[in-house]
Amino acid sequence: MQAVKLSLKKANKIPIEADTVTPDNLAGKTKEEIEAIPVWYGNGQCPLGDFFTVEVEGSDSAENTKIVFEGDVSRVKRIGQGMSAGEIEINGNVDMHCGFGMKGGKIVINGDADSWLGCEMKGGEIILNGNATYYVGSGYRGESCGMRGGKITINGNAKDYLGEHMCGGEILVTGNVGLLPAISNNGGTIVIEGNATMPASEMKNGTVIIKGEVSDLLPSYKEDGTEEVEGVSYRKFVGDVNAGGKGMLLVK
Amino acid sequence: MSEILIKNANVCDPAQAINCETMDICIRDGKIVESVSENAKVIDAGGRLTMAGGFDGHTHSAGKINVGRFINPNDARKNLVPGLSGPEARTEKTRAQVGYNTPNTYAIGYRYAKLGYTTICEAAIPLLAARHTHEEFKEIPILDKMGLSLFGSNWQVMEYIRDKEPEKLAAYVAWGLKASRGYGVKIVNAGGGEAWGWGKNVSGLYDPVPNFDVTPAEILMGLAEANEKLQLPHSVHVHCNNLGKPGNYETTIETMKMFEKVKPVVDRQALHVTHVQFNAYAGTSWRDFETGAPMVADYLNGADHLTFDLGQVIFGPAVTMTADGPVEYANSRMLHEKWSNQDIELEDASGVVPLSYSPKSFINAVQWAIGIELALLVDDPWKMMFTTDSPNGGSFVNYPEAYTYLMSAKKREQIISGFGQMALDRMVLPGLDKELSFYELAIMTRSMQSKMYSRPEKGNLKVGSDADVAIYDIITSDIDPSVEHEKVKQAFSGATYTLKDGKVVVKDGKIEATPMGRTYWVNAKVPADIDSAMQKDTDIKFRKYYTVSKSNYMVEDSYLPIPVEISAEGEF
Amino acid sequence: MPVIKDAVCSLCGSLCDDITVTVEDNKITKIENACILGHSKFVGMFEHDRIEKPMIRKEGELVPVSYEEAIEAASKILVNSRRTLSYGWCSTSCEAISKAIQLAEETGSLIDSTANVCHGPSALAAQEKGAPGASLGEIKNRADVIVFWGCNPVHAHPRHMSRYSSFSKGFFSTKGRKSRKMVVIDVRKTDTAKLADKYVEIEQGSDLLLITALRSAVNGHEDVIPETVAGISKEEVLELAETLKNAQFSCIFFGMGVTQSRSKYKNGDGVSSLISDLNQHSKAVMIGMRGHYNVTGFGQVATWETGFPMAIDFARGFPYYNPGETGANDVLVREEADAAIISAADAGAHFPQKAVRHLAKIPVIQIDPYANPTTELADVVIPAAVVGIEAEGTAYRMDAIPLRMKKLIDTEFKTDEQIAKDLIAKVRELKEGA
Repeated sequence: MQAVKLSLKKANKIPIEADTVTPDNLAGKTKEEIEAIPVWYGNGQCPLGDFFTVEVEGSDSAENTKIVFEGDVSRVKRIGQGMSAGEIEINGNVDMHCGFGMKGGKIVINGDADSWLGCEMKGGEIILNGNATYYVGSGYRGESCGMRGGKITINGNAKDYLGEHMCGGEILVTGNVGLLPAISNNGGTIVIEGNATMPASEMKNGTVIIKGEVSDLLPSYKEDGTEEVEGVSYRKFVGDVNAGGKGMLLVK
Repeated sequence: MSEILIKNANVCDPAQAINCETMDICIRDGKIVESVSENAKVIDAGGRLTMAGGFDGHTHSAGKINVGRFINPNDARKNLVPGLSGPEARTEKTRAQVGYNTPNTYAIGYRYAKLGYTTICEAAIPLLAARHTHEEFKEIPILDKMGLSLFGSNWQVMEYIRDKEPEKLAAYVAWGLKASRGYGVKIVNAGGGEAWGWGKNVSGLYDPVPNFDVTPAEILMGLAEANEKLQLPHSVHVHCNNLGKPGNYETTIETMKMFEKVKPVVDRQALHVTHVQFNAYAGTSWRDFETGAPMVADYLNGADHLTFDLGQVIFGPAVTMTADGPVEYANSRMLHEKWSNQDIELEDASGVVPLSYSPKSFINAVQWAIGIELALLVDDPWKMMFTTDSPNGGSFVNYPEAYTYLMSAKKREQIISGFGQMALDRMVLPGLDKELSFYELAIMTRSMQSKMYSRPEKGNLKVGSDADVAIYDIITSDIDPSVEHEKVKQAFSGATYTLKDGKVVVKDGKIEATPMGRTYWVNAKVPADIDSAMQKDTDIKFRKYYTVSKSNYMVEDSYLPIPVEISAEGEF
Repeated sequence: MPVIKDAVCSLCGSLCDDITVTVEDNKITKIENACILGHSKFVGMFEHDRIEKPMIRKEGELVPVSYEEAIEAASKILVNSRRTLSYGWCSTSCEAISKAIQLAEETGSLIDSTANVCHGPSALAAQEKGAPGASLGEIKNRADVIVFWGCNPVHAHPRHMSRYSSFSKGFFSTKGRKSRKMVVIDVRKTDTAKLADKYVEIEQGSDLLLITALRSAVNGHEDVIPETVAGISKEEVLELAETLKNAQFSCIFFGMGVTQSRSKYKNGDGVSSLISDLNQHSKAVMIGMRGHYNVTGFGQVATWETGFPMAIDFARGFPYYNPGETGANDVLVREEADAAIISAADAGAHFPQKAVRHLAKIPVIQIDPYANPTTELADVVIPAAVVGIEAEGTAYRMDAIPLRMKKLIDTEFKTDEQIAKDLIAKVRELKEGA
């Protein structure tokens, strides 16, 4: 086991880009080596140690490495980007692109997350014990496939465009979501326990289950009886008809 | 006075029938000269393969490509050809770069130069938006440039042809070239651009354009006649009707046949047919689609009045961009892809659709094969220009990869072995074992362009020519390109030296200097009375139908920082 | 007394190029053909107070200084900053924009245009679906159905309808207004709506619902359309779909009502899809009613130079683009920017309070001909020539057609292009010295 604790020394406004801070990259490194890792801060790079107090216990491979962020990292972007193994725990709010392109491993956030949480995720797990912002589990601008694997659980609310361009994987939201969740999806499963507005626009494939209130169901879905999931019966809609879609939208 | 002596260059200069002979090259003040003094700076080529700078005579690199960039921000981060694609931070010498299929302007200049290219020709300039092309040209470093102006669906052109006014047509073409600072006449899907104004297309050479009472065949012949009357340095440059449709090889051959009767006054071809791969399809639908290359090649082998370019497909993502509006809309619907369209009033159409070529698709596999079949079945390399119709078939940064398809049967076999039976049944490529030599490759990538575009100072290393030189890390006596195709690809991906006007711009695959290149354009002279008569007609067009004032139409001098005006004198 | 014909008006995205300008004693005294907005630009400029001299804020007050001092002070701000936001650049020439981008690249700054508050979502829509458009003359010559959706050209683009759309006469549309059916879709009956053959009033924020319903109708899926959509009846939706399907050539002009209402870029995205669906039946195109006369130009130049049309972040040395993260508002509201250059735009007036409050806290360089609320926030102010009147340069019309603006009168003021060039030179000098 390797445990790395990173405590933010001082709250920053200019974001720190922490895409190099992953279990893959920190595994087997010493405290000094970790402090020396360069991170982008505005238009220049600084060593990680300038911003964080680093404590290291043990040395191990990526899958047995756990990184803990203490303090409000609401201006630290890209934590866990591309990681393939290991664990990250964030005890505070986190900035954009947390878990971007993640391939494996686990991220747990005890706080709120800014936009693009789990964008282009391929595998692994993200658990958010707080509220998310825009574009959870979405894609990169212009691409037709975004999140393609892995699982994101949000124990809170999320804003607009949840799971945009999803083509695989799972998203679960225990609270409400904003506008247009599951837009242009081509696979994957999204479960929203709260409310949603204009869900599943232009969906080609995939499953979306909304347990709360649906506002403004789009006029591009054909109602097709009911479907039972885990003992609960839902109204079943198939569509998006304008995308030639065979997606399944289940609403209460 | 600046002198350079390149020693020990293994020169391949087909224009002078020099085939891998080691010699020195003398350069003074940007030109190749007979000899230089002892003060000359010496570059030791170390026996490496040396050619004139490459000349890409058909590429979409300024103008419409911007739509491609705009709708595909995801292209910016694509790094499919490391060193020649993807985001690159700015350096002391170079601006920031992005992209793969639709790189930013700086990347286009640097990456072509790294491949040893020194001249490019933008394939399509819409007259009304020509300023845009020239604005982009200004930001493409290093390369010399020219562009082809679109005339094939132009209202004034069609009316003059319908009303049998060949002299006024020639005057209009001359004026249009001047207005757009173009180098040559481009025709795309003749007449189709106007039909597309109503969402329609022309179905073949004899299908009249709605409301204008002319056929594509008449448009082609009319513009060809005007082109020769003006004695323009380039022939008409034609993207045939029915592009992309199974069975279209017949339209292509018929188009080429029509031009047999056109007699160019200038020493060059009567017709250049572009990206023939997309127009060499047999079959009647995608179900029975198969290669039409053997039939087209057969005709080409018997014809000596034309040149053509390949339009080779590269597997992976590509972006189609063409004035063939109807083709693009059809692409977008069939492939479920993004679609951009920009019809230009009174002039032409255009569309941009990103797509992907996959070896698993039998259609794409056959398309890939057809380009190579054409290159191997046509006997005379002087007729053939190498292109991918960048980025329609694929980005130009893949040229070195494509060279290995032409030079190595083993490389082809590797790729063909991944094809399914459905693909193999529809191509003839597996049965072709011809392998092109460095000499033939040189012809297709630099030498033939010299005559094709009437640019004697380009594409060769003759005394008096521009000192645009590419030195590649290949010792021809030591390499078997058939087996060592990866080495060939690597060498062509980053020149050991690229010189532009005698200045080292690339060294060991890295940018050394970024001088600004020239823009060539043609100013054709027409008798004053015919010009006046034509101007009266265009005055009406601008007063009634255009949405810009005629006085604001012509591209101003300030858009060409280093212009080279090529004169042409009409025969009236 | 020179009379200059065919001058290009540099106010709105219509970029009318038939303006006749009379110049007397280096002032414009008469304008012909311009609308009220253009008139205010050409003639009104002589009635507004210009920023007369470069200024630097010293002890809370803006004090006149020499140009060189201002350039040096501004360059120092840029060199010492980690995250400069360069914003605006839409009421200026493409040539100036090019230099502004180069300056941003060399200082590792962000650069964004006024599209941020306006048609930025149209770019996002195009990036999802593409942009099926045409030059304005195509509408003039062919369109028999014209739709104005969420825009009000009577006020925002006064000559649009007579030059390019509803009232224009073209080759195939010889009867002008009578050759076409004009439809207006909006949330309230604007002055443009009063001129329509058909006015469709929809509920606020329901554009995407109507777009989707129209698509379903056009694609033969009437059965999934409910009895009421977006505040109108299913019958009305079907009728509108028929009008579009049966057109010879339809054009949807769209504005802020589409780009800035609920679900923003998804509306434009939806219109793009609708246009593609319509083309299965009849010719259809869409054109965005761009506001500033050269916001389209910014998009064009930025795209060919950086690969992206706006919201470009050069922090890592290469362009990175992500509206919502790299947009002007984003970095101001999040208080990320530690310096700002504001040119040819009025952030002080148009940005949300939080963004303006942050601007007040950081060093701000303003480059503009006129004083405006941003001037109150500025630490360095550099007056610029008015492009299109005092300086020539390229601009792109809303349909991406480029025109060259003329220089009509002489001026002592430097152009934005020159100022940006001088800043680049000074920044290089300071960096080398460091």
